[in-house]
Amino acid sequence: MQFWWTYKTEWHAVASWTWDAHDETCGICRMAFDGCCTDCKLPGDDCPLIWGACNHAFHLHCILKWVNSQTSQAHCPMCRREWQFKE
Amino acid sequence: MTSPSASSRKALSKIATNRLQKELMEWQVNPPAGFKHKVTDNLQRWIIEVNGAPGTLYANEVFQLQVDFPEHYPMEAPQVVFIPPAPLHPHIYSNGHICLDILYDSWSPAMTVSSVCISIVSMLSSSTSKQRPADDERYVKNCRNGRSPKETRWWFHDDKV
Repeated sequence: MQFWWTYKTEWHAVASWTWDAHDETCGICRMAFDGCCTDCKLPGDDCPLIWGACNHAFHLHCILKWVNSQTSQAHCPMCRREWQFKE
Repeated sequence: MTSPSASSRKALSKIATNRLQKELMEWQVNPPAGFKHKVTDNLQRWIIEVNGAPGTLYANEVFQLQVDFPEHYPMEAPQVVFIPPAPLHPHIYSNGHICLDILYDSWSPAMTVSSVCISIVSMLSSSTSKQRPADDERYVKNCRNGRSPKETRWWFHDDKV
């Protein structure tokens, strides 16, 4: 029997990224912003962060669940200002 | 009596389960002062022991809170009641229902069990008289048949006590 092996001597990072949010976790699901919301499997474009006019950030999926669950005007979960998506 | 039985409630969603597990872990590391979570295997109903803060009207008294989580927690507030005997307080009814805005209209999904506990102990601590709400008897009679406090239409008029 023969064994073949090599040393891997170099490693190239293609890119690294992080969300530019002030907090590290989403105030709604409490998962890390670098990760994704509880309903998603992969972070990144599929589970984006979104900012409110008040500058608070959440996973898009989380804030949508909150906004859609409110019968009247939704408020920011952090500061209670009327929730508006940042333009 | 103050809440639907465990079997009639809808099971927690994935988001709710995940968040509650995180909250429980955080609680174990850093519980709010004066509170003790009674360990059970039921994530959907927490029983919490409350110690009246030293130097307040409720010093040396111990109460129990029952916290029931809805399927879509934290988009919906938990149901929080004292298990009778409830503290004698102008905003706490003798059936354990608590008149506190954050538990109803002013709930936010950024709140946690821990932050709710802190609000409750601060509400107790700022009390200057040990008495029931003026409409206690009428309210409690209205709540027979196990009505949840979340079905009550509350008026929040006094933010001093």
